[in-house]
Amino acid sequence: MSILHLSFYATFALSGLGLAFHRTHLISALLCLESMMLSMYVALSAWPTENHTATFTLAPILMLAFSACEAATGLAMLVASSRTHGSDHLHNLNLLQC
Amino acid sequence: MSPHAKLISSFSLILGTTITISSNHWIMAWTGLEINTLAILPLISKSHHPRAIEAAIKYFLVQATASALVLFSSMINAWATGQWDITQLSHPTASILLTAALAMKLGLVPFHFWFPEVLQGSPMTTALLLSTVMKFPPITILFLTSNSLNPPILTTMALASAALGGWMGLNQTQTRKILAFSSISHLGWMTIIVTYSPNLTLLTFYLYSLMTAAVFLNLNTTKAMSLTTMMTSWAKIPTLSTTLMLALLSLAGLPPLTGFLPKWLIMQELTKQEMTSAATIIAILSLLGLFFYLRLAYYSTITLPPNSTNHMKQWHINKPTSPMIAIFTSLSTLLLPLSPMILATI
Repeated sequence: MSILHLSFYATFALSGLGLAFHRTHLISALLCLESMMLSMYVALSAWPTENHTATFTLAPILMLAFSACEAATGLAMLVASSRTHGSDHLHNLNLLQC
Repeated sequence: MSPHAKLISSFSLILGTTITISSNHWIMAWTGLEINTLAILPLISKSHHPRAIEAAIKYFLVQATASALVLFSSMINAWATGQWDITQLSHPTASILLTAALAMKLGLVPFHFWFPEVLQGSPMTTALLLSTVMKFPPITILFLTSNSLNPPILTTMALASAALGGWMGLNQTQTRKILAFSSISHLGWMTIIVTYSPNLTLLTFYLYSLMTAAVFLNLNTTKAMSLTTMMTSWAKIPTLSTTLMLALLSLAGLPPLTGFLPKWLIMQELTKQEMTSAATIIAILSLLGLFFYLRLAYYSTITLPPNSTNHMKQWHINKPTSPMIAIFTSLSTLLLPLSPMILATI
């Protein structure tokens, strides 16, 4: 695997771990999600460069559009949790326990 | 919720599902999954109740992670093989990551922890959408990639799902959580057969959607969110108690009803593939589910509460019954004699 691919792999894996091991705030989980999407964006952008396929240039833009929608939705969820639970602390989200 | 918002959400759900199930390229599959996730969030959180917002947050985080993992696994496969075809996922790391991502999307063990809580926090009709429509694109991707998935991992997840769905459903009193665990155990049945006969996975999914739609719509009419409400719902519409019992027994997989068909065909196929111990284990584990289905049927239909309820019994409710209950209940109880035709067309 080339060094470029390894860096995309490592970025995604580290932000994925950051999302999985989030501790206090919802916003840190959202940031890690954004970081995963950013690493995917750069990886998808590198694909038409290394394979000389111009038609694939649409893919990173499409991915970016959807990840922007997702980020906006995540922030809306953050605001909603502030309105209902008072903060974005994740240990407050315990109303639905078994 | 305003009709305009409801229209856009439901249209986006249909659009996202159609995009994923008709895709050949991984980017389109991912697009459909993302559209579905974004479209159902307003439906989960429409009442702005704290529990609904919490369910929406948990749903969003899990599904967004799973979508990113799907995209990443397809990227790894593209780096290794140079193509983005869904049916040609040959790189083993990509296949394992995709399995984990789809398990997160569907709610298979060990990625099932979000599912009961999200179903509990959402309204009844949205819970129905979460159990049926939202599972259709990931199951389609499982069907399309079935020749490159890892059978031991899938069998382990399936058996664990059947076990956990059965055991954890035993201690529940909230009907939506019971239906969530029933969904998890049915997903176990769907997953165990996907590498051997993917058509049976789709058949199980279709029949499960029919039966669970019958139960959800039934509970939605009587607004039975917990076991205690179910016990007194016989007074509202007595016929619905009977149809609820039949639909629940069909979900349990009892023989003259439709729910027996997928279990029978799956066990037959597993035995033909020399996996008799897996077939035996999953059949025994579905007995746990039978216990709580029988308990629900018993409390709703077979017994009547011994004393009068504390509040006025509602003998006539204002909302008319959905006609779909009749269609789904008759389909979910009477399709077994049609099994040769079903086998010929799946």
